[in-house]
Amino acid sequence: MNESPAWSIIRAVVGALIVLPAVVSAPAAMSGDFNRLLGAVVRIDVREVTFEAGARRFVAGVGSGVILSPDGLVLTNAHVASPHAVEISITLPSLERVGARLLGWDHWTDLALIRLDLDEVKRRGLAFQHAAFGDSDALYVGETVYAVGTPYGLTRTVTRGIISNNRRYFEDSGGVRGYETGAFNTWLQTDAAINPGNSGGPLVTEDGRVVGINARGYVGADNLGFAIPANVARRIVDGLLAHGSITRSYIGLVPGTLQDLEHFYALALNTGMLINSVELGSPAARAGLHGGDILLAINGQKVDGRFPEQLPPIQNLIASLPVGSVVRLSLRRGGQAMEIPVVTEKLESRMGEEWAFDKWGLSVRKVSRAFARENQLDDDTGVIVLGVQSGFPAAVAGIAAGDIITKVNRQALADLETLKRIYQEFEAKPDSLLVEALRDRRVSLYVLKP
Amino acid sequence: MNQLFPVIQGHVAKLVRVWLLVAACALLPLRAADLSDLFAERIKSCVTVEFLIENELDRQPVAVPGVCVDANGTIILPASAINARVSIRRLKDFKVYRPNSATAYRAEYLGQDALTGWHFVRAEEKLHPELVPLTAWARPGTPPVRLADEVWSIGLRGKDEDFHPYFLMSRVGLIEPMPQPTAIAASEIGGPGLPVFNRDGALVGLTLNSFGQNFLLFSRQERGQPVVLVNVEESSVFLLADEVLSYLGRIPENAAGRPLPWLGAFGLEPVDPEVARFLKLENQSALVVSEVLEGSPAEKAGLKGHDIIVALEDKPLPRLKPDQVVATYVEREVERRRPGDDLTLTVLRDNQRLDLKVTLGDEPKILREADRRYFERLGLTVREFLYGDGIAHRVKRAEQAGVIVDFVKANSPAAMGGLEPDDWVREIDGREIKTYAEAVAALAAIEADKDRSEFVLLTSRGGETAVRRVKLK
Repeated sequence: MNESPAWSIIRAVVGALIVLPAVVSAPAAMSGDFNRLLGAVVRIDVREVTFEAGARRFVAGVGSGVILSPDGLVLTNAHVASPHAVEISITLPSLERVGARLLGWDHWTDLALIRLDLDEVKRRGLAFQHAAFGDSDALYVGETVYAVGTPYGLTRTVTRGIISNNRRYFEDSGGVRGYETGAFNTWLQTDAAINPGNSGGPLVTEDGRVVGINARGYVGADNLGFAIPANVARRIVDGLLAHGSITRSYIGLVPGTLQDLEHFYALALNTGMLINSVELGSPAARAGLHGGDILLAINGQKVDGRFPEQLPPIQNLIASLPVGSVVRLSLRRGGQAMEIPVVTEKLESRMGEEWAFDKWGLSVRKVSRAFARENQLDDDTGVIVLGVQSGFPAAVAGIAAGDIITKVNRQALADLETLKRIYQEFEAKPDSLLVEALRDRRVSLYVLKP
Repeated sequence: MNQLFPVIQGHVAKLVRVWLLVAACALLPLRAADLSDLFAERIKSCVTVEFLIENELDRQPVAVPGVCVDANGTIILPASAINARVSIRRLKDFKVYRPNSATAYRAEYLGQDALTGWHFVRAEEKLHPELVPLTAWARPGTPPVRLADEVWSIGLRGKDEDFHPYFLMSRVGLIEPMPQPTAIAASEIGGPGLPVFNRDGALVGLTLNSFGQNFLLFSRQERGQPVVLVNVEESSVFLLADEVLSYLGRIPENAAGRPLPWLGAFGLEPVDPEVARFLKLENQSALVVSEVLEGSPAEKAGLKGHDIIVALEDKPLPRLKPDQVVATYVEREVERRRPGDDLTLTVLRDNQRLDLKVTLGDEPKILREADRRYFERLGLTVREFLYGDGIAHRVKRAEQAGVIVDFVKANSPAAMGGLEPDDWVREIDGREIKTYAEAVAALAAIEADKDRSEFVLLTSRGGETAVRRVKLK
């Protein structure tokens, strides 16, 4: 039989197609890079202090992390390793445990950077792999990804899914143990199973590249998991390594989505971000901005904030400006266009420093500027009572959780140090103290007796 | 032995029975008949007042016991009879029923007295001869009730039972200034707001609302869950007669009870005995002033937030129990005066004692007086911005403008747009709203425009503003 060259080629190709799947599936093994990645994922056990019930208590938690460098840098979630941690221990894939310390955290992106105790690593001759970041911007919806971590303490668990959405907006004003998160980045959404304990573990592609850090899932939902994109993480790691923290600028805009309101505001297509509110006493409020204004451009750069997922990049644009710099906001108010300069401030969390005064049976958190604004307080004087221990002086005096202690012995509590000093004096020479506190705007007096 | 006992028992039982009969014969004509006659007479002072509260979507019927206080058919109702948020203009269709009768008599609402909190109602003339004022039972010279005295009053059943009156009796268990002289009986003695009598039928008081009582709740789900129960039909607490009689003449001149004296100090918080001792205030109480309101008489007199009031008219604040009662004491001292009257407050400020003479003012418009307007198609009621809203939203008077959302109909365009009661509306369709009239005009125009598909509001809630779009189509 005569066979044309063309036919033989086709036959060869078809044959190869039939054979190929068999060849690929037969060994059933992941790539070498993926296996190396598995050697870089760790379990993190954290013992941390809490100041809840009027006392200092310690609680333990478990999370995941990924080693990023030969010198033992480990990336995890801020809600796994925070400044509250008093002891961090890492279980390497070799099942060896080694101590670690926190280098810095950033609750806004829910990321924390810790470092293995290198002396211990060297002394015991421990070995580990390290992972490399992939490009999270290149991810496409439907792409296969794997979550690696320690769900419910089950170490080295790998689950598989796809990228369900690569620009998910998710903001939570108390999402990281009461600290704000999500305002400055969008998230990767995946259906790879993410459970408690997966937190801080990597989301990786088949070639073992870290494209995200798994952070949260919806409780009770089926496989709605969220991860911080690697391209955000890369920036935060650099910042935490260099400065131990991330400094951001703040002007006090609360954005809203325009969604179909362009017509009402007579805007050109694809422009503008609605300013839903301006935080009281913020730089933007002082500059005269108010709710209902439309932000058109920041320092001449046009913004488009019609949909929720478009808001974090705009917020980040402002946050990335140097603190104390002047930012030119182009606005539209009614039919009027205007340009307003605003001087940025340093962004602060609403969560202040926490402390417990054991002999009083009282635990407190400093009132922050953001908390004062949120609760329409005159200023950030005072501490919020987190808890009281029954039978202890604070509880006996009538002080309760939620009260804001503003003065002790007529001395205003401008900072936590003032109260710590008063406590030291009390410890040295116990005597009755007059406490002034606010509860629902009402001022009450209490006597703390030894 | 076994047989002997019943015989003896039978004897004793017979003897007891005979003795009881003798005793009953001697007492009954004097006592029991006496009380039931007294009861039959005294229920002529008691009525049930029924009225409607006309809301946006429904009419809410209310029925409360009341007592006639004079020959003109004036009836008083307890303060709790009408919620302070309800607009006076929404109170409709007042009717009065006598006990044991289904006949309704018309009545008009006269208003609320600030000092006593009583609501005054006047029944139509036809009914006047049928009513006996409470004062008829006041016996001058009757000593005030004492501990363990027997006291009784009247309960009234509901409309379906023709307001059937019933008898309740107990003994005085406690007498305490709260700050008015108040007695608490061992058990419930009558419906709240009804007169209390002694064994001889002399007026000794007027029942107040019942206090809460602690109970443990046991059920399949709960094993000893603490609950507080308040009996709304019957009360064991009453105000003593002298106090009641001295206020019967306080018939309001108008529905709002104006003129209303005004001090303008917000959040008067009592100090406990420990704090009083720390402040070297022996055997007396004190009140911390939380905030002094802008433009108020207190502010003009120089009172400041965090000042501690220790005396009124040179009289140290009494130590009352519970601590909170002293705040009521000061409020009453203000309310018993009239705008223009002077009141001297002694305060502690930074360890210094200061005397401040306050000239009381006229209280700014209150919630029950506010103008309101319901917009059916929008599903929204707005009301004027009041002085009190300025306090709630913490805005200076100069910045006060706009209107307050008073009601949002469920599933209406306004509800879908995210509006909630107490939201402060500052702009309508991008235009700043200065006055109530402006807001009503703007909303009326939107409501009338059937082609309108949406409108946009700028609202404020808890210090945060939001642009809210209300879709009409």
